[in-house]
Amino acid sequence: MSGGEQLVRRLPNDIGGLSAGPIERVEHDLEPWEKRCHALADVLDFRKIINTEEKRRGVEALGSEMVGALGYYERWIVAFSNILFQKGLLTPEDLARKMDEVAARHATPQP
Amino acid sequence: MTDPEHGHQHGHAHPHAPIGQESPPGYYEIMETAFRELLVERGMIGPDEIRRQIEVLDSRTPALGAKVVARAWVDAEFRRRLLADGRAACEELGISFYDDTRLIVLENTATVHNLIVCTLCSCYPRPVLGLPPDWYKLKAYRARAVVEPRVVLAEFGTVIPDDVEIRVSDSTAMVRYLVLPRRPDGTEGMDEESLASLVTRDAMIGVVPVAAPAGRMVQ
Amino acid sequence: MNRQAEPAGTALLPGIVMALGEEPVFRPGDLVRILARSPIGHYRVPAYLRGKTGTVEAVIEPAAIDNEQEAYGRNAGAKRHYYRVAVAMTEVWPDYAGPEKDGLRIEIYETWLERT
Repeated sequence: MSGGEQLVRRLPNDIGGLSAGPIERVEHDLEPWEKRCHALADVLDFRKIINTEEKRRGVEALGSEMVGALGYYERWIVAFSNILFQKGLLTPEDLARKMDEVAARHATPQP
Repeated sequence: MTDPEHGHQHGHAHPHAPIGQESPPGYYEIMETAFRELLVERGMIGPDEIRRQIEVLDSRTPALGAKVVARAWVDAEFRRRLLADGRAACEELGISFYDDTRLIVLENTATVHNLIVCTLCSCYPRPVLGLPPDWYKLKAYRARAVVEPRVVLAEFGTVIPDDVEIRVSDSTAMVRYLVLPRRPDGTEGMDEESLASLVTRDAMIGVVPVAAPAGRMVQ
Repeated sequence: MNRQAEPAGTALLPGIVMALGEEPVFRPGDLVRILARSPIGHYRVPAYLRGKTGTVEAVIEPAAIDNEQEAYGRNAGAKRHYYRVAVAMTEVWPDYAGPEKDGLRIEIYETWLERT
C-alpha cells in the first residue's frame, strides 16, 4: 500500500497500537482561552451547530501534519472554523476581519 | 504532577500579569475570541452560554468521582446500582450528565484490573472527573495502553500480578468509563468522607491503586 | 447495558412490529467478528481491531445514530445499537507478551459486526 493511500485509510488520530515513547505524566491547568474553547465545543454540541462527532471529523480532516503540529485546543478552534465555513454559517472573510478587529483591540494601548 | 509553570489554578477571572504588562493574545486565542464573538453577534449562541458552561466544567473535579467510589464502598446496594447503570447511580447523587454519554463503572477486584484509554481522541468521564490530564490525551498513553498495558502500568508504578486479568476499555463512542478501585486494607473503620479523600483521579482511570491511608498499618 | 426486563405488571400490546434497528441484532454471549472494511473520512472503529473476533458482553442502550454519518451533521433519524465487545489481547496482538486472559473492551456499532 502506498504511503499516500495509508494516509487516506488511517486517520491521523487512529494511533492505538503504534509504537511510542515512555509515558510522560504531563498536565497543566487550562489557559482561560483553552477553557473557553472547551466550553464552546460543549455549547456547539448542545445546540447541534457542531456535534461532537463533527468536531472529531473536523480535527481528523486537518491532516496528520497539522494534527502533529498544533496543540489540542488549537486543533479544535481551526476545525470549528472550517466546519462553519463548510456549513455556510461563517465565511473565511468574516473570521479574518473579526480576527483583525480582535488583534487591533489588544494592540491599542488601554487608557 | 502539576506543571511548575502553571502551579496555580486557572480558569477564573484573574489576569496572569498586572494590567498593562499582559502579553497580547496568541493567534489561536484571537481566533477563539473572534469565532465566539461572531456566533454571539449572529444570535447562534447566547452571550452567557460559554460562561455558564465554564461554571459547569469548573464544578466537575475528581472529588465527585471519589464520592461515588466511597459511597459504593460503604453501601452495597448503591454499588449494585452503580455497576448496573453508572449514569443513573451518579445522577442519584446529583451529578448531572450534561452530554449524551452513558457511564459504565468497571469494578476492580482481586482477579480483574481495569484500565481506561481513548485511542482515537480523549473520551473521558468528564461529568464525574472533570477534564482529563494531558498525558491521557497524548500519543504515548493512547498508543501503548492497548498493546502493552502491563508495561504502561509499570511506568505508573503499578505492578499487576500475572494471575490478575487486565481489561483495557477503549472508549470510542457514547460510553465513558469510570474504574471503581479496590478499597484498600486498613480502612475498615473509616467513614465515607475519609474514604473519599483517599481516592485519586488516576485510581479512577485505573493506572494506580488507591493507597492505604498514611500512618495506618496495612493488615 | 443489558436490556432491562419489562417492569412487573406491564403488559405488552400485541401485534407491534419493531422497525429495523429498534431491536438489537446481537445478544450478550454472541461470537462476533469486527469487520475489516476501511471507510475514509471518518470512523470510530480503530484500525487495530479490524477483522478481530470477540464476544458481545452487553448491548448499549439506547440505540444511536451511526457516528460515521453523525460526523457529517446528521443529528436525527434511524438508529442502531452499539455493543460492548470483549476481545482477547492475544487475538489482537498475536505476540502479546502478557497472560492469555488479558483482554480489551470496546463499543462497536451494529453495522461493523457479523456473527461468526
